[in-house]
Amino acid sequence: MTTKPRQCVAIEPDLIAAATGEAVPAARERVAAHVAGCTSCRDDFARYRAVDAVVGTLRADPAPPGDAEAARRRLIARLADLKTRLVSYRVFPSPLGPILLAASEHGVALVEYLRGGLSRSRLFTMAGIDPQEDGGELERLHGELLEYLAGRRTRLEWPLDLRFARSDFERAVLQATSAVPYGAVSSYTGIAGDLGKPSAVRAVAQALRHNPVPIVIPCHRIVGVGGDLVGYAGDRIGLKERLLAVEGVPTLHGRTSRIERRGMYHYDPNPDRQYCLPTCGTILERPIGQVKLFARRELAEAIGLEPCADCRPDLHPLS
Amino acid sequence: MGEAVQLDDPAFEAVVATHHGEIYRYLRRLAYRGAEADDLSQETFLRAYRARHRLTPDANVRAWLFTIATNVFRNHVRSERRRRVAHASLQVTRRELDLDGPEAAVLAGEVRTLTEAAIRRLPLKQRLAFTLRKLHELDYELIGQSLDCSAESARAHVFQALRKIRTTLNGHVLPPTESTR
Repeated sequence: MTTKPRQCVAIEPDLIAAATGEAVPAARERVAAHVAGCTSCRDDFARYRAVDAVVGTLRADPAPPGDAEAARRRLIARLADLKTRLVSYRVFPSPLGPILLAASEHGVALVEYLRGGLSRSRLFTMAGIDPQEDGGELERLHGELLEYLAGRRTRLEWPLDLRFARSDFERAVLQATSAVPYGAVSSYTGIAGDLGKPSAVRAVAQALRHNPVPIVIPCHRIVGVGGDLVGYAGDRIGLKERLLAVEGVPTLHGRTSRIERRGMYHYDPNPDRQYCLPTCGTILERPIGQVKLFARRELAEAIGLEPCADCRPDLHPLS
Repeated sequence: MGEAVQLDDPAFEAVVATHHGEIYRYLRRLAYRGAEADDLSQETFLRAYRARHRLTPDANVRAWLFTIATNVFRNHVRSERRRRVAHASLQVTRRELDLDGPEAAVLAGEVRTLTEAAIRRLPLKQRLAFTLRKLHELDYELIGQSLDCSAESARAHVFQALRKIRTTLNGHVLPPTESTR
């Protein structure tokens, strides 16, 4: 075996480059000059040119056997499936503690107070969900949520995806609850009545307990028929109270926390659509739900109610 | 699986329409079986779909997909290797794939087949660099990104691959070319 002359070894990378279309002009010239006087490298050059030509035929090959079109159809089907399962999420800080926001292609699917870490999120316990931490788009929602919690925004008009609700009944409960306006209060009994199922009070409470999108669907505005705050996010009555406080709904703290009805305007449905002071007749004794409560007069008037001609809440507003 | 399945995401459908053929072909060249290429290209596009929001409007989508496909293939090779070791079936698998034996060479007889076989026998990085450069004509900068190495190392891999292919073809008559460019 002979060793190559040093200049042949040195030119070899340029030679390969020149033979396979990879060389800059200067290298090509160096190679041309060298092979002009070196038979062995001229042969090498020709060999590499030939190899390059063979590789060129491989490059030009039609796709090797295997049906790319069928593969593409299968891919589209899988992508369509992934798209329906994909839920992107991110955990954000908030004055109420870490909150997970999750959205699918259809809308916001989860607003979750995170306790005990991300792994316990409903996101990871429900079948048919492909969670993905992402959430560039969720940042805007987080911003709106913070504004809401600071009292600078009264509505979260987000498209919702209620796939985490467990039944159509639960979805109906959520729907009815979302109709309770900002600063107003109703009861589980009231919602059951709205749904035409007055005896389904416990089922309504269960559905709201599982509300996948609290705050957005304002289950905090739903209280016991006597004004008790009852449950929220498990046992976090404090959160419910804070959310109500943001909306200006007064609460009392005794053995239990309850709505301070005396600080709210009352509406007992009547043909004249008049709302009252809590001191109007015996209205204070009527169950919440049958009467709706409003923290401020403007809130009642915003839904088209008029001040009562007897108690005149317009002349004697609650302080 | 009907024709009717639609993704209903025009932007990503356009990505699939434009690039699926080439990515599939790339993976078909790398994989040993068609079904494998099918799975791997699906995996590539599923990953791409998940990450599509991270793609800036001026991004080089083709290069991005090649990078994903290359990673998918490398992971696949890694897990295949683990699986094979676990099942101690390495020997069998190797024999099945062995195009190097004298009979195979005689049977195939053809320079192209030999070249393809030589490409398959290259160490993984050389093979990927070579395939990306010579069969799909990506530039070295992008190949380096796909392989987590510099553009220079990517180039070195390709050159090393060319040397090996050339060695494999020693003694075979190659199709004539004009002698200079």
